[in-house]
Amino acid sequence: MTDIVVKTVDELKDAPAEYREAVSKLVISHAINELYGAQVFDEPAIAYAPTPYAKWLTCRVAMEEYGHHVRFKQLGLQMGIAEERMVPGTGKKPLSIFEFPLKTWEEFVAIKLLADLAEILQVEDLLHCTFHPLRNLARATMPEERFHAQFGEDFSAELVKTLDGKARLQAAVDEYYPYLPSFFGGSKSRNNETFRKWKIKQRTNDEMRQDFVTRATEVATKYGLTLPEVRQAA
Amino acid sequence: MSIFLGALRTEVRAASWFAALGEPLTEGDRSDARAYAAALDFGPVEIGLARDWPDAERLLKAPDWTPAWWDREEALRRAALAAAEARYPERTLWSSLTDLTAETGDLVHGKAATAAARMGKAAAASIHVAAGAASQAVYQLAVARLAEDAASPFESKFRLFAAGRWPLGILGSRLVLF
Repeated sequence: MTDIVVKTVDELKDAPAEYREAVSKLVISHAINELYGAQVFDEPAIAYAPTPYAKWLTCRVAMEEYGHHVRFKQLGLQMGIAEERMVPGTGKKPLSIFEFPLKTWEEFVAIKLLADLAEILQVEDLLHCTFHPLRNLARATMPEERFHAQFGEDFSAELVKTLDGKARLQAAVDEYYPYLPSFFGGSKSRNNETFRKWKIKQRTNDEMRQDFVTRATEVATKYGLTLPEVRQAA
Repeated sequence: MSIFLGALRTEVRAASWFAALGEPLTEGDRSDARAYAAALDFGPVEIGLARDWPDAERLLKAPDWTPAWWDREEALRRAALAAAEARYPERTLWSSLTDLTAETGDLVHGKAATAAARMGKAAAASIHVAAGAASQAVYQLAVARLAEDAASPFESKFRLFAAGRWPLGILGSRLVLF
C-alpha cells in the first residue's frame, strides 16, 4: 500500500521507514544544493554585477537562495535530521557544477538562465508531493525560483544587445550547460524509483531531463543562443 | 551555541522601511547621510534626493557610476567579518547571519512592495533591488556589531533605512538619498 499522504511532520513518524528515508534524502539534497549554489555562484556574483541596480538585485537573489537553504534545513531539523547532514563538507557529494568557481558576470547570467530553470523543474516535481510539509515548502519556493530564472532572462536580453555581450554569454552557456542535464540523476536511479513509488516525486529522471532540454532550448533560442551537444547520463 | 543578535532584530522590526522615499529631506536625514559619508572616509558631500522610483532606477542603472563607495563598504565589511570570525565559531556565526538575513529579507521585501504600490511607477524588479539593499544594510550592521566596531558607517547607513530612506550611493561628491 503506497497511497499515503503525510500532512504534518508529526505524522511522518507513522510512515513506513522507506518513505521517511526517501523524504529525508530529498530534504538533505535540497538543503545542501541551495547552500552550495548561494556560496559558489550567487554571493560571488555580487562583485561582478555591473551597476548598483544589478548588485542589489543579485544580493536579493543570493539572500533568497540562502533563505531556501534555511527553509529546507528548518524542515529537516523538525524531521529530526542532524544539522551537520544538511551543510556542505559532511558526506554528501555536491553536484559537479559547484566545483567550478564563478569568473564573470556573463557566467552568472547563464547560470540563472539555465541552472535555475533546472531548479524550477526539480521544485515543480514536488508541488504534488504526498509529504505536505515538503509540498508546501516547494510552493513557497517556486515564485522565487521563477524570479531567479526571469533575472537570467532579463540580463540575457541586455547582454545580447551587443555582439560582444552575446559572444561572452554564448561562451558561458557553452561552458556551463553541459553540466546541467546530469542534475536530474541517472536513468536507472533507485532513489527516483522509490520517490515515485510513494508519489513523493512524479516523474522519472529521464522525463525531467528531456523536459529540461526542451525548455532550455526554447529559452536559449529566444535570446539567439545555442546549446552545445551533451552526452546524456547513463 | 547561537548568536541571537536580539537588539538588532528589534531595531529591524521597528524600522520605517521605505516609508519616506521621495519625501523632502530633514535635518536628521542630512546629519545621518553626512556621518555615513564621513565614516566611509569621503570628504564633505552634497546630499541629493531622488524624487521617485524612475529617478532612483536611472541613478542605480547608470553605467558610468563610480564604485568607490561600494568598494569601501566591501573592504570594511570584509575587515569586520574577519574580526567577527575571530570572536565566534565559523558555523555559528554563519548560521546566525544567514538566519537574520533570511528573516529580514521577507520583511523588507514586503515593505518595499508596499512603498512601490503607494508611489507607483516602480519596475517590478526594483522591489527586489530595494529589498536587496535593505537586507545588505542589516547584514553589514550585524557584522560590524559582532566585530564591536562602533564607528562603522553601517550604523549611520542603517539609521537612514530605519528612518524610511534608501541611500543610493555616492556619485562624485554627491550622496543621493531616495
